[in-house]
Amino acid sequence: MDDYLVSVLSNIGIISFVALSAYVLLLAGEVSFGQQAFFALGAYAAGIATAMLRWPLALALCLGVLVGALAAAAVGRATLRLSGLYFAMATLAFAEMMRIGFELFTWQVDVGGSLVGPNGPDGFGDIRYLFENEITPAQYMLVVYGLLAVVLAALLVLDRSRWGRVLRQAGADPVLAELQGIRVVRVRLVAAAAAGALAGLGGGLYAHLLTYVEPRNFDIMLGVHSLAYGLIGGLGTAFGPVLGVLIDIGLLESSRLFQGYRMIAFGGLVAVLLIARPRGLLDERAVHWISSRAKGLFDALAARRLDHPFRRR
Amino acid sequence: MIDIIQNTVDGVMIGSSYALLALGFTLIFGTMRRLNLAYGPTIMAGAYLGTYAFLALDIGVLPVALLVVAGAAVAGLYVERLCFRPFGEGAAIASMISSFAVWMQIEEAASLALPHHLNAFPRLVSGQPITVGPFFFRLDHLAMLAVAAAAAALVHVVLHRTRFGLGVRTLIDHRRAAELVGVPVTHTLTLAFLLACAIGGLAGFLIAASEAQITPMFGMWATTKGLIAMMIGGLGSVPGAIMGGLALGVIEAQAQWLFGPQVRDLIAWGVLFAVLALWPGGLLGGRQVAEQQAVQRRV
Repeated sequence: MDDYLVSVLSNIGIISFVALSAYVLLLAGEVSFGQQAFFALGAYAAGIATAMLRWPLALALCLGVLVGALAAAAVGRATLRLSGLYFAMATLAFAEMMRIGFELFTWQVDVGGSLVGPNGPDGFGDIRYLFENEITPAQYMLVVYGLLAVVLAALLVLDRSRWGRVLRQAGADPVLAELQGIRVVRVRLVAAAAAGALAGLGGGLYAHLLTYVEPRNFDIMLGVHSLAYGLIGGLGTAFGPVLGVLIDIGLLESSRLFQGYRMIAFGGLVAVLLIARPRGLLDERAVHWISSRAKGLFDALAARRLDHPFRRR
Repeated sequence: MIDIIQNTVDGVMIGSSYALLALGFTLIFGTMRRLNLAYGPTIMAGAYLGTYAFLALDIGVLPVALLVVAGAAVAGLYVERLCFRPFGEGAAIASMISSFAVWMQIEEAASLALPHHLNAFPRLVSGQPITVGPFFFRLDHLAMLAVAAAAAALVHVVLHRTRFGLGVRTLIDHRRAAELVGVPVTHTLTLAFLLACAIGGLAGFLIAASEAQITPMFGMWATTKGLIAMMIGGLGSVPGAIMGGLALGVIEAQAQWLFGPQVRDLIAWGVLFAVLALWPGGLLGGRQVAEQQAVQRRV
């Protein structure tokens, strides 16, 4: 694979984490404009851990996850009794405060004769772990997709579990969920922490891929895009947000289709798509249709292979 | 002390344009219960039309003002048809994301029309500031305050003295009740949306004229300032939007004077976060939130 393809694919994988983060909260019925804050926290925390404290990558990514989850839980505690636009604006306010906070944040240490660390609005450069440890971009891409596969598998298992139903019920009708004995605020708090962890993991991966992050990478555009990915790709399955990222970054940005008019074409496409499918391409109905078809096909294949006497018709 | 008073006066004058932005925002949210993220970019489309005509045809400032307001209303109609009209009740998030997609469209269209980052915009008035004792008043800010106050008064009259205004207020109170008493809902919603975009266009004109320039960042700037002012004032409340705008103007002016522009933005977002976390209804929107929380407690 050439370098360009590897970098685009890695980017798609990493942005998928923050898209999934917004998706988890959407399932719980909350719209967040602020998942970029936890992405940024993960990026800075993991970058500080490897570049300044000389931690190994795995530990640094864990730190990113932890910081993202803790920050999201703290913000959630303060804001989760809000709903709808109030919550969305509170998360946006937090994210913008974090972004400006990073612009004011300078902490540099001497590593091997040069100053390394976050340097206010100039950003945080020299996160050179991959280079120093001779990890090639292709290997790193495998790391990204390995982690993404684990996350997707966990989300798919979750969706089929009791917990997933509780989550979707709390999102679909909070009052009814409360009547059914679901502690909606608690469910949302757990969802927010999990979403923060996902964004933190993505952020840690992002900082090491780019080797350089700056506060303006984490503005409102990233937050609204990550929400939009879920709605484009579909809210019926965890593959939805990934499909959304793939359509935006993979198809349009990288193929240079509609060059110069990309946002006009893409914006119009999304607007029309949302009219036709307000919950995205892979919405609940589409997922149900696909999975029942797949099940039928699977059953048919299984029946043909082992001609079982008691097989279900 | 003199500085604090001077900052407050400046803040109120700048805040008057924020109040207009928030007023338009709250009219859309109050009637539709939908968030129009493309609100700022709609205004920017109008402002770009105005500055394009100004640069190409060298027209005066008043025709530019009319073009900005008309352009914002036309762009608003496009947004309403594409992002709000087709969605039934319950698709609020899809409609919001759709308005974000249109935001991206408008931003790219604007930068294709005028590729420069900075574009000149005509000033409304120019001249020396008026000094009164130790205080001074910038003429363009005074004009901004006067025009904004006149516009707010006009909106007040429209809302309280016309049949259309009665329909809008009924919709803000209760959509189902408005349908039952025979308010022409679709018609009123579209008109309220256009009115909101025109108010936003006026605010955009006042701001661009006092800065004497316009950039492609204006859309995002107007959306965020309008949102903050609306949320501080209380979602969906018309007097709240005006108070929220003025409060935001004063807070920003004081913070800028004390700590500079970066910390000013930090403080503006911090105030919004604190208001939402501690006092979710904002200044004047507490009733709805309280009702909602009462319902959940009863459950």
